[in-house]
Amino acid sequence: MTLSHRTWATATCYALIFPTLAMLVVFVFTPVLWAFSKSLFEFEIGADALFVGVDNYTEYLGRDPTFFPSISNMLFLTTFAVFIQLTLPLIVAKLIYVLPQERWRYVYRLIFLIPTLVPGVAVMLIWQGMIYSDRGMLNEFLRGIGLASWATGWLANPRTALYAVAMIGMPFVGGFQVLIYYAGLSAIPDSVNEAAAIEGCTGLRKFFLIDVPMVLSQLKLILILTIIGGVQSFENLLILTEGGPGFKTMVPGLWMYYNAFSFQRMGYACAIGVVLFSVVLGLTLLNIKYFRSTEELQETT
Amino acid sequence: MERWKVVAIHVTLISLAFLTLLPFFFTINNIFRTRPEFDRAFFSLPDCFKNLAQAITAEQGATFQIENEEGEIVEVASDKAIAFNLSKAGRGPRLAWRAIRPYMVNSLWVSAVTAFGVSFIGSVTAYVLARYRFFGSRLAFLTIISTMMFPGVLTLVPSFLLVKELGLLNTYWAMILPYIAGGQVFAIFVFRSFFSGLPEDLFESARIDGAGHFRIYWNLVLPLSKAAFSVVIIMNIIGTWNNFLWPFITNTEGKKHVVASGLFVLATSEYASNPATLYAAYAISSIPMLILFVYATKPFIRGMTSGAFKA
Repeated sequence: MTLSHRTWATATCYALIFPTLAMLVVFVFTPVLWAFSKSLFEFEIGADALFVGVDNYTEYLGRDPTFFPSISNMLFLTTFAVFIQLTLPLIVAKLIYVLPQERWRYVYRLIFLIPTLVPGVAVMLIWQGMIYSDRGMLNEFLRGIGLASWATGWLANPRTALYAVAMIGMPFVGGFQVLIYYAGLSAIPDSVNEAAAIEGCTGLRKFFLIDVPMVLSQLKLILILTIIGGVQSFENLLILTEGGPGFKTMVPGLWMYYNAFSFQRMGYACAIGVVLFSVVLGLTLLNIKYFRSTEELQETT
Repeated sequence: MERWKVVAIHVTLISLAFLTLLPFFFTINNIFRTRPEFDRAFFSLPDCFKNLAQAITAEQGATFQIENEEGEIVEVASDKAIAFNLSKAGRGPRLAWRAIRPYMVNSLWVSAVTAFGVSFIGSVTAYVLARYRFFGSRLAFLTIISTMMFPGVLTLVPSFLLVKELGLLNTYWAMILPYIAGGQVFAIFVFRSFFSGLPEDLFESARIDGAGHFRIYWNLVLPLSKAAFSVVIIMNIIGTWNNFLWPFITNTEGKKHVVASGLFVLATSEYASNPATLYAAYAISSIPMLILFVYATKPFIRGMTSGAFKA
């Protein structure tokens, strides 16, 4: 093989991967660089940018009135989500797994997946109408049992809004999490299950002493995904409460959105994005660490 | 296991499944209820179904009261009553379909072009990176994979500024191009591990027979990788179909809304005053995913579980 032949082959390879690299440079690396560079400016779209150094950061971390409420809301919603995602889907996965007939196990796994077919926006809006509206299930139930005075606008009342948002998705059996845990339970070797049975380890004891430790990598995965999602997500709040009443359901991501698209403070929004990125980066590094195990998980789903 | 235990588990699972699906039963029920019915009782079976059942089971010669086009109550025979109630049941879906058809078309178009772009560009790059070692190939792969550490929350605002700068706001390309750029990364990851597993002998003999990159890709890689392609394509369609925020902010004029952003627009417009239309729109928007799920359950499940690891 001559040198020029080799150079030609390498050039062909680069030509073939060029579309990928070009798209990444334009639509990923440019926005990433801009996020950092533009966070040092104060500007509106179409107007001149004013260099302000790290002022956007000191303002957000020091003087922004939403900073503490939004961080505490985010922590509450994320903690709640973590607690839910680590328990209920695991219990359901276990209940499905112990059923004797494969046909039923398959049917239940599919049934719990059905909600994921509906666009997330529609799920939020249906919940808003069905549970929380003035004549929704919750208020009608309270009126039915003689507690009419407790009926309220759950998403508009400052005392209930945050909890109402957190409770969306009851009874919290996400098909995706069930699948992941189910895969973990299926991967427990028969020898372990048989040894447990011989030792007389059954029921709840087996669940806590054998099943939970054996699906630990799945639990870690869901934990990290839920936390990363919790730090970033704000679409549900944009749809349901717009962060209100007051800042009762404000989260950092939503504040970023409003600064960019309502208040035209593009530089400030970029700075909030960078702050959130630094939080997510640490969590993503953990996620990459568990990436390998997720590939194995899929084999059994 | 004892029989009572199995029964207890079934009861628990069915109750949980019922609670999980309750919002969707509620949605389907509401498609067939009118505004007055909705105001009278939040939960009730649709009147048109009750009347329909009565008209169908009625004896010969019985008459029914219906409201004619001028809003007067008239007495008609059972066949007329059946036709009237059927058309009444179809009102919500008809109006909803008229409202969300443009969004559905936009969604289908954007999803199809994105899925095609991602699987084509992604598979070509993955083929090169999986089967060839060349100067910088490892660096290229790491560069591509490294973009997974940039979360959407970092790039949302600057991506908007970029798309605006490029003059793409209110076009399909504002969605398609960033979707392909971001979506190809995980696709490359999936394709590369799949292509690496293909036996080298096949490629060796193809090259000896004088096949170039194009023939190897088209006649060897594609036919062997249908499973990987179906997972990547479905994963992408799910992601595109459910993405609400990006179409919502890049359609400042509201003309290119997709299903997810369009539903939110509908729910905050005058359509919200007619619950049947709104709920029918929610249901219709789920039909394409339902079809995909029914016809490709296995790749759908795999696509969904692997898709979530992108986060």
